[in-house]
Amino acid sequence: MAETTGEKKHAAEIELSHVTYRYSVGTPFEKAALQDVSLKFEAGIITGLMGHTGSGKSTIAQLLNGILRPTEGQVLIDGRDIWAEPKKIREICFRVGLVFQYPEYQLFEETVAKDIAYGPHNMGLDEKEIARRVEEAARFTGLTPDLFEKSPFELSGGQKRRVAIAGVMAMDPEILVLDEPAAGLDPRGRKEILGGIRAYQREKGNTIIIISHSMEDMAVYADKLMVLDHGHLSRYGTSHEVFCHAEELKAVGLSRPQITKLMMELQKAGIPVDSGIYTVDDAYEAVVRLFREKKQGGMA
Amino acid sequence: MLRDVTLGQYFPGNSLLHKLDPRMKIFLIIIYIVTIFSANNPVSFAVVLASAFVLVFLSKIPLKLILKGLKPVFVIMIFTAFINIFWTTGDHLLISWKFIKIYAEGIQYAIFMVVRVLSLIIGSSVLLTYTTSPIALTDGLERVLGPLKVLHIPVHEFSMMMTIALRFIPTLIEETDKIINAQKARGADFSSGNLIERAKALVPIMVPLFVSAFHRADELAIAMECRCYHGGEGRTRMTQLHLHTRDFVVLGALLILLAGIIVLNIIF
Repeated sequence: MAETTGEKKHAAEIELSHVTYRYSVGTPFEKAALQDVSLKFEAGIITGLMGHTGSGKSTIAQLLNGILRPTEGQVLIDGRDIWAEPKKIREICFRVGLVFQYPEYQLFEETVAKDIAYGPHNMGLDEKEIARRVEEAARFTGLTPDLFEKSPFELSGGQKRRVAIAGVMAMDPEILVLDEPAAGLDPRGRKEILGGIRAYQREKGNTIIIISHSMEDMAVYADKLMVLDHGHLSRYGTSHEVFCHAEELKAVGLSRPQITKLMMELQKAGIPVDSGIYTVDDAYEAVVRLFREKKQGGMA
Repeated sequence: MLRDVTLGQYFPGNSLLHKLDPRMKIFLIIIYIVTIFSANNPVSFAVVLASAFVLVFLSKIPLKLILKGLKPVFVIMIFTAFINIFWTTGDHLLISWKFIKIYAEGIQYAIFMVVRVLSLIIGSSVLLTYTTSPIALTDGLERVLGPLKVLHIPVHEFSMMMTIALRFIPTLIEETDKIINAQKARGADFSSGNLIERAKALVPIMVPLFVSAFHRADELAIAMECRCYHGGEGRTRMTQLHLHTRDFVVLGALLILLAGIIVLNIIF
């Protein structure tokens, strides 16, 4: 289990195969949350899972790490059914880390360091390895060591979020699923948390799935985007491949990033910018380049 | 999971019993309980049991649902029947084997007790819990207990506390569910180890649950103060309670039932 920092291990791919999930089976309140869904998350990249409210995103997250058991169908990690041995489902929680929506409510320990160590501790790791992982996870989530001995309840909302994410990261799962990790944070907090997750993925090379409905964030931080419509795959591809289908996105209740819309407006106004721009950084570069060209043109 | 837990649940509907005034229902239930306890012979018990089913019919709640709700008290009923069969003495000895003696009176008494418990639970659940929303119930209680204000008993505060508690039961259940899942995802193990280990495993659930409950209480208090809540003094209501003809009709019917039972007791 002990690995040296920076060593990339085998990345796992995870797949839902014809999964149907119904809530409250056998009661009058029975309701299908997912109906015959098949999705495949590629190994070693960040996939942004997007869909509007009620499209089954959070249910998928809980199916991926065995918290929920599919009513029908299978969840496969590298082709092996996670429910093959139901008694060993707890092991799956160690292989597939899940950070719930608004995870700050899960904190309970006396100190930040102890709380981050809760997961690794449950895995039965030795103290030295736990300390190393706590330190590492704190680094990725931007928690400074001076916070380690504080009570998690003294922290601000954004810091609590980081502790909660670090608590799952420290388990060093092969696959990490995050449900709206940046929801309700200010732009700087979003950038730091999502940037930290990306840095973590780049260093570990593991498989990450981020659930979000922010096109802006996912255009920047995800390698591939997966768009869901009522629990079914509507689009899958790079941000360019997904965002060029504007009408389809609109139909499922999502829209292109605002910066793309702005670029299109500029284009309509006769300014020669590329409409395939999805991040503010790219837009900045494009506009600067345009100004430079104009300046040079003016001088000539 | 936890969300399947049912607690004194209200079943929305539009039947006669749903429409009754909650204050009247509280009186009705008292009369009904008195009726059940005044029955003392087979005929009046039969009438009492029949009346319980008439109430079920009036409430339009599926009988299956009510029988399902009876499951938890099933053990109690069996237990009461058992005690009555073996411990009641009388004139007609039926079976005598070693120290066990069963009398005809014992069996009769056991049946009476079961019918009593059965009609008590069916009657009160159909009259009150199934057909009265928790809010209407506490509202009714506040009005019925209103006279106690003279004795400086904070009736309004009590009913407000009850309303809030009832309101937050589903929220807390949902919250617990969420926390259990989050800790499970971090590898928490609730189902192995000895008693002390299992109790310790609950800490990661109880701490966040209490923290969020206090937080919620705080927020609710602020929200109430922001809307100028200052207790029951001079407070008016959005929905005024009115007694209708139907309330008196049902009251009359129940009083007739009570009188009938008393007459039956005298005859038999």
